[in-house]
Amino acid sequence: MRPENYEAQRQPPSNEFELNFGPNHPGIEGNYALKVKLHGDVVLEAQADGGYLHRGFEKLMEQRLWIQNIALVPRICVPDPSPMELCYSMAVEQLCGLHVPQRANWIRVMQLELSRIAAHLFTFGGHAATTGMYSTMYWGVADRDLVLDLFEEFTGGRVYSIYNIPGGVRRELPSGFLQRVSETLDYIESRLPDYDNLFFKNQVFVKRAKDVGVMTQEQALAWGVTGPNLRATGLAFDVRRDDPYLIYDQLEFEIPTEESGDAWARTLVRRHELMESIRIVRQVVEALPDIHGPIRAPIPNPLAWNVPAGETYTRVESSKGELCYYVVSDGGPKPYRVHVRGPSSMHAVQVLEKLSVGSRIEDIAQTMFSLDACPPEVDR
Amino acid sequence: MGSIKQIPVVEAKRTNPLARVFDDLVRFCRSRSLFILHYCTGCGAIELPPAMTSRFDMERLGIQPMVSPRQADILLITGYVSIKTLKRVILTYEQMGSPKYVIGICSCTVNGGMYWQSYATAKKLDEYMPVDLYIAGCMPRPEAVIAGLQQLMDKIHSGEASSWEDYYRNYDYYLGNQQKLFGEDWQTPTDVISEAKHYDLLSEGTLGDHTRLLEQHQKPLEALEMRLGHEQEEPAK
Ligand code: SF4
Repeated sequence: MRPENYEAQRQPPSNEFELNFGPNHPGIEGNYALKVKLHGDVVLEAQADGGYLHRGFEKLMEQRLWIQNIALVPRICVPDPSPMELCYSMAVEQLCGLHVPQRANWIRVMQLELSRIAAHLFTFGGHAATTGMYSTMYWGVADRDLVLDLFEEFTGGRVYSIYNIPGGVRRELPSGFLQRVSETLDYIESRLPDYDNLFFKNQVFVKRAKDVGVMTQEQALAWGVTGPNLRATGLAFDVRRDDPYLIYDQLEFEIPTEESGDAWARTLVRRHELMESIRIVRQVVEALPDIHGPIRAPIPNPLAWNVPAGETYTRVESSKGELCYYVVSDGGPKPYRVHVRGPSSMHAVQVLEKLSVGSRIEDIAQTMFSLDACPPEVDR
Repeated sequence: MGSIKQIPVVEAKRTNPLARVFDDLVRFCRSRSLFILHYCTGCGAIELPPAMTSRFDMERLGIQPMVSPRQADILLITGYVSIKTLKRVILTYEQMGSPKYVIGICSCTVNGGMYWQSYATAKKLDEYMPVDLYIAGCMPRPEAVIAGLQQLMDKIHSGEASSWEDYYRNYDYYLGNQQKLFGEDWQTPTDVISEAKHYDLLSEGTLGDHTRLLEQHQKPLEALEMRLGHEQEEPAK
């Protein structure tokens, strides 16, 4: 650092100073930054500074064929890519009026819920690491890897599966796969009490996370908060139940809620959701052997596929919140406009900015990780 | 540039066999204790936690993550770099102490990957900074990451991994590409040219048209004097 590059500024003595928090900082999730103004330890003002991961997705999607975009969309949210594929596929299906076979719908639900389990385990790991509990991080990452092994087996990709295409799913499940799914679920379930003892009931975590980043239900609704973060304020809203897609209306599951709306409640909601996801996958595993039929509706030649003109809006519940796609087609081989409404853009920008004010600087990481924002999806 | 005191480098004569053994030992030790600066530039970063933690366990190779660039040896570029990130990556790279190594993970660092037509990303990483090793794939599996790191360890041991010297030798080329992207008045706080002199790596490629621009846009020296004067007037309370 050359001193001559910096101009001294005469300023009155003050306890206030500004700090760049990120983008290369262990307390920040991914490549994201905050500019914070501090008085001592207390945050006076926080300003989100995104754009480090901007790739111009919505523009790129207008330049590629409908089918090519399937490979592009999972990259929008890296830890939880499956809902992205599904939501986009659903939009194209609606535009074309494609009817998806039942079996494909069940397989899709299994994929979504497995992805949710993986994403939640990963979030616990990251959140625990911010409180210095690295063993939980090691556990979370290792257990997530078991789910990724399942993904690899039935989709071919560990992280990005690119398994959903408009009309159904790409391939049939391997033989004996459902058995391995239930074994993995059994194992993850047997681990949960250990997680409770190590992390969720651990006083280190409880004391750090309680009463940090509190938001009320009215605030949450006004700020556009969705998903587990909204449910942590006491409102049981879940797209899976309130606007069912695929076959969620045939499944039994509960919507866990918490009342306090702080970082602790948000993480606890995720922990309960993990149980519900395991329950859902169990139901799918039980039902799938009896559901026969094709896994894909016939689609025209994908390289010369003109999707009928029209517009549509689809929404699904991803592990971070409500994920929506607005897709417009002008009848051509490429989308005319695609807009992604991701949950994290609200959580990481306006909500994080507001919740950080008044907290201490070391609690920003708690707030950020408990909101479970996903920077690549903020910037897109 | 003249303001910075130059430390003469003593060229050791490496004809002595004992010295060569010693050099080899140094390189061996260096390759067995690597600290990675974990700067998650892109989506490839999601495969690093599995690679670092118990399943694939990078630590058994003596490789650990490190949060501060000044104590890190390896800069991992995990995926596409948007132009805004690239600025920070270059700043970070220049802050790291030599010898330093760069690994480009993911196809996006090789040729732009699936964002080849994006307006927001830098396509080829090695136009902006020297890269020791690429690990291609979208995204590379943890096994591939670990195999790549092992290859880097071998390269460090054999003395091949010397891309950081390249940066000093061809600074003008790299700076030119950076200026093309960020504008003519692009500056980093690190004085690369003085460092090149310090390491005795000044060559024809170090100085050129682009480094001249650097001097032209440099802020005048008065800033420093002003600050010193300021401190003398009003000692900090
Ligand atoms: S190569 Fe693939 S996984 Fe890697 S950064 Fe690019 S898009 Fe992401």
